[in-house]
Amino acid sequence: MLAMIKRNLLLYFRNWSGVFFSLMGALISFVLYLIFLKQNMLSSWAHVPHATRLLDLWLIGGTLAITAITTTLTSLSQMVIDRERHVTADLQLTDAGSLRLQLSYLLSAAVIGVIMQVAMFVIMLGDFALTDHVTVTIPQAINVLGLMVVSALLATAVNAILIQGVRTVTNLSKLGSIVGTAAGFLVGTYIPIGLLPAFAQDLVKLTPGSYVAALYRQLLMTDQLDTIFRHTPAARLNFEKLMGIRLDWSGLLTQSATYHIIGLIFIGAVVLTVGPTWVKQSHQRHRLRER
Amino acid sequence: MLLEAKHLTKTFGGHVAVNGLNLQIARGSFTALLGPNGAGKSTTMNLLIGLTTPSLGQVSYANQAKRGVVFQNSVLDERLTVTENLQIRAQQYRHVARSKVAAVSAELGLTAFVHQRYGTLSGGQKRRVDIARALLNDPDILFLDEPTTGLDIQTRTAIWDLLRHLQRARQLTVVLTTHYLDEADAADSVYIIDHGSLVAAGTATAIKAQYAEDVLQVTSSDVDRLRERLTVMPTACNGDQLIFKLPSPQVALDILTTNRDLITTFEFRPGTMDDAFLALTGREMR
Repeated sequence: MLAMIKRNLLLYFRNWSGVFFSLMGALISFVLYLIFLKQNMLSSWAHVPHATRLLDLWLIGGTLAITAITTTLTSLSQMVIDRERHVTADLQLTDAGSLRLQLSYLLSAAVIGVIMQVAMFVIMLGDFALTDHVTVTIPQAINVLGLMVVSALLATAVNAILIQGVRTVTNLSKLGSIVGTAAGFLVGTYIPIGLLPAFAQDLVKLTPGSYVAALYRQLLMTDQLDTIFRHTPAARLNFEKLMGIRLDWSGLLTQSATYHIIGLIFIGAVVLTVGPTWVKQSHQRHRLRER
Repeated sequence: MLLEAKHLTKTFGGHVAVNGLNLQIARGSFTALLGPNGAGKSTTMNLLIGLTTPSLGQVSYANQAKRGVVFQNSVLDERLTVTENLQIRAQQYRHVARSKVAAVSAELGLTAFVHQRYGTLSGGQKRRVDIARALLNDPDILFLDEPTTGLDIQTRTAIWDLLRHLQRARQLTVVLTTHYLDEADAADSVYIIDHGSLVAAGTATAIKAQYAEDVLQVTSSDVDRLRERLTVMPTACNGDQLIFKLPSPQVALDILTTNRDLITTFEFRPGTMDDAFLALTGREMR
């Protein structure tokens, strides 16, 4: 399994244009913010002190969630490519077993998701540190790193469901473009969730990535929010709801509730993707033993 | 028998791809599967390998024979080097030693380019790496699906020499499909498949003797007189040329010796696998 993980990582990172395009969704979000959205949003939050830093951190949260989604999807594409090129058939003839093969695709996607989130985090934080003097404390950074793992695992599991129905590389690239474009909207990064119509808000809440984005924002922004809204807790709730820092399920979700939701989605997704493979493999084993 | 297939049948929906095929492959033998496009060769291979389950019939191997497969299109990664590719595949097996990759690379003459990326290799080099990959688990039987398609004649010859060498040196059983019918001459046994059924089986020589007619072409100074004398009728007449399709070289000799005064030049060509193949599968394009 380690050999296959190594293979998938090598294949991902040796394809430079592939790496770049898998970051496209995240880069668009970042650049869009720098060029267009930042000024626009700042003018509407002019009354909030240190609004720039707050918004910078807000953007980092959403963009990291997008990064996890798009990079894990690109990595998982290898699964479809291998199926189409009969690599899967070749591997079936080895002692690896389909369950272990599938797990190696999933794990390599998760590892790539973490690495690319770290890369995006460094790029964005570096830029904001230079331009807006944004800083992150060491405990915050550690927590962010932990959340990156959670985010990569969740995105991998959810994308694995999407990719199950894809049989050809052509359809795969179509799916890639759709996910890449939609991710920014669906995790509420291009436009804050509070500014969207009700139906779109529901769509965002149906997107697993938006919960990850919310958690990132909580981790990165809480200190600032504590200071800014010290005397106006009502305004804080309003801000958190508008910006998708906490999602609203008949009341704003707490951090632990958000983690619970993520955990449930993750378990469900894993059951849906790994379950069938596991059943198939145990059937095969059973048949072999009967012979 | 190392491998035996009985009444092998595979249907896809209403389409019968393989229809009641019986095959026997002896240990250490060299078997060629021939057939026009869409005849069911690849499906037959997949059934024999075990990648496809038959709708009817069965494939049985002698005591857990290990299989090696060279797929029609390469299954190795272009962006990885030869060694990386082989090492990763070797690690998918439980009982393949780490030193195996180096050993196989040396045996197949890959040493000069093991650190090159697979994607940058020539067609012949790639094919050799593909074969090396299939040999990693020391298979008893090696399946190759059109291993020489798209290669130049030098490379084809080299691949065939390599396969014959492996067959002898390792006591390897080889089963392959090919479009180059002349290649089947070198096989111990040939199976010709059409429309999913077996149409001929045996050694290349036997199949040619049975299905391919010898061709004699003579040029005469006086075609009309020659025709009067003939006991065997020509199949075609083209100006001063007569063409005969004959069951054996002996008949050709008879024609030539009894009419030598009327014949200016002649050409004799023994029946080829191509002739046998066309006789068996028809001229219609698939």
